[in-house]
Amino acid sequence: MNEYTIGLAVAFTGIAVAFLALARERDDLHRLLLTDLAEILALAVIALVGTDLAEALILPGLVVGISELMALSEIYLKKERLYDEPTERVHFEVMDTAPGILGAVLVVYGVVLAGFSGGAVAGLGVLFWFLCKGHREQFELLETVSGYAWAAWIGAFLVFMLLPQYWFFAVMVAGTAVLVKVMTKMSLLGTMRGGQDA
Amino acid sequence: MPEFTGGAIGGDLLAAVPFGDIVNYITPLTATLFAVALIFTVFAIISRPEKQLDIVFGTDAVYAKEVTPDELKFRRFMAVACGIATLGAMVSGDIFNFTLFVSLIGITIIGIVAAVKNQHVLNAAFQYGIVAMTATVPLFAGAAITLATTGTLSIWELSAGTGVPLIAKLLLLLGVMGEGIAPFYAAKTELFRAPGAPYVILIHVSSLLMFLRVIEILLAV
Repeated sequence: MNEYTIGLAVAFTGIAVAFLALARERDDLHRLLLTDLAEILALAVIALVGTDLAEALILPGLVVGISELMALSEIYLKKERLYDEPTERVHFEVMDTAPGILGAVLVVYGVVLAGFSGGAVAGLGVLFWFLCKGHREQFELLETVSGYAWAAWIGAFLVFMLLPQYWFFAVMVAGTAVLVKVMTKMSLLGTMRGGQDA
Repeated sequence: MPEFTGGAIGGDLLAAVPFGDIVNYITPLTATLFAVALIFTVFAIISRPEKQLDIVFGTDAVYAKEVTPDELKFRRFMAVACGIATLGAMVSGDIFNFTLFVSLIGITIIGIVAAVKNQHVLNAAFQYGIVAMTATVPLFAGAAITLATTGTLSIWELSAGTGVPLIAKLLLLLGVMGEGIAPFYAAKTELFRAPGAPYVILIHVSSLLMFLRVIEILLAV
């Protein structure tokens, strides 16, 4: 029995537990949460392969999982008629004082890291900032930035295919664009709180 | 590029469409499926939505259910996205791309249904969404196990007889069954108790084509 088989056995035990829970659970909200658990175990099964290709497969798997979860959450809100924004939110004093510093540190560190993981770290910083501060007017700005980043990313790929001698320029453009894109994607999550503009 | 040997059920190779090392292929079978998906996508683009009439029981009166422009636009967009995802799944020459397209079909089907602001429809869409979401687990697990045992996901190389384990094939089939379960909700009618044509047709067409394609893939690898 090699390590892969053992890992697969563990992951499938987890999947069996998740599906069993899903079959027994009757409350819709809890079932939604349990499907997320199952999704993460699917990512674990992919990650067990442990090669570069597996790493490339985890990202689309994650995106599919998150987008389905977001779509279902939106349906759940509509279905249960949960339209109103909560008047009392979780509020700590640290949320007034820390966002500027913590957000800046995370964004700078993310820019230093660059690429996908950098985008995740910087996005976390922006997400935290939006979570603590207001969020109304930034939504469309973020969408626009994300769109331009996407276009730059595609442009970089076209350079790879059509003008391969300029690969270094394309790598830089693609790296920056992916950083900005992942960052804006994550900060969009920070702005989502139901209401009119969500 | 390896020799194409996957023609057992799909027929001879007509064309190969390479995107880097991902090589989509077109055989008489996949070409037919592609054409069907394309025709129905065009239908979804050009046709106007029907207005459903409900008879008030025991009287002569009828309700006409109006479709608002917002709902129309969203459902048409989702239907076209569903059609495009189906087109991709039909010609994909790579198992992981196929699974991604299949899960994309699942998401867009949720979108087609969920645009209707009706309690029954939303309930059914939610239940279908849970099934579709859990179905990505066996779907991706099947692809991952295929990758782990054979070292490749390209149907070109897999069809040369690398021996995809039976469990991976079964998981793949299970995943496609979960994603393509939407038409079975027709039996529960809630999913369709809404003015839906022509967009609901795309749910059926994409699920049907998905099943036909996964059978071809499972027999080829």
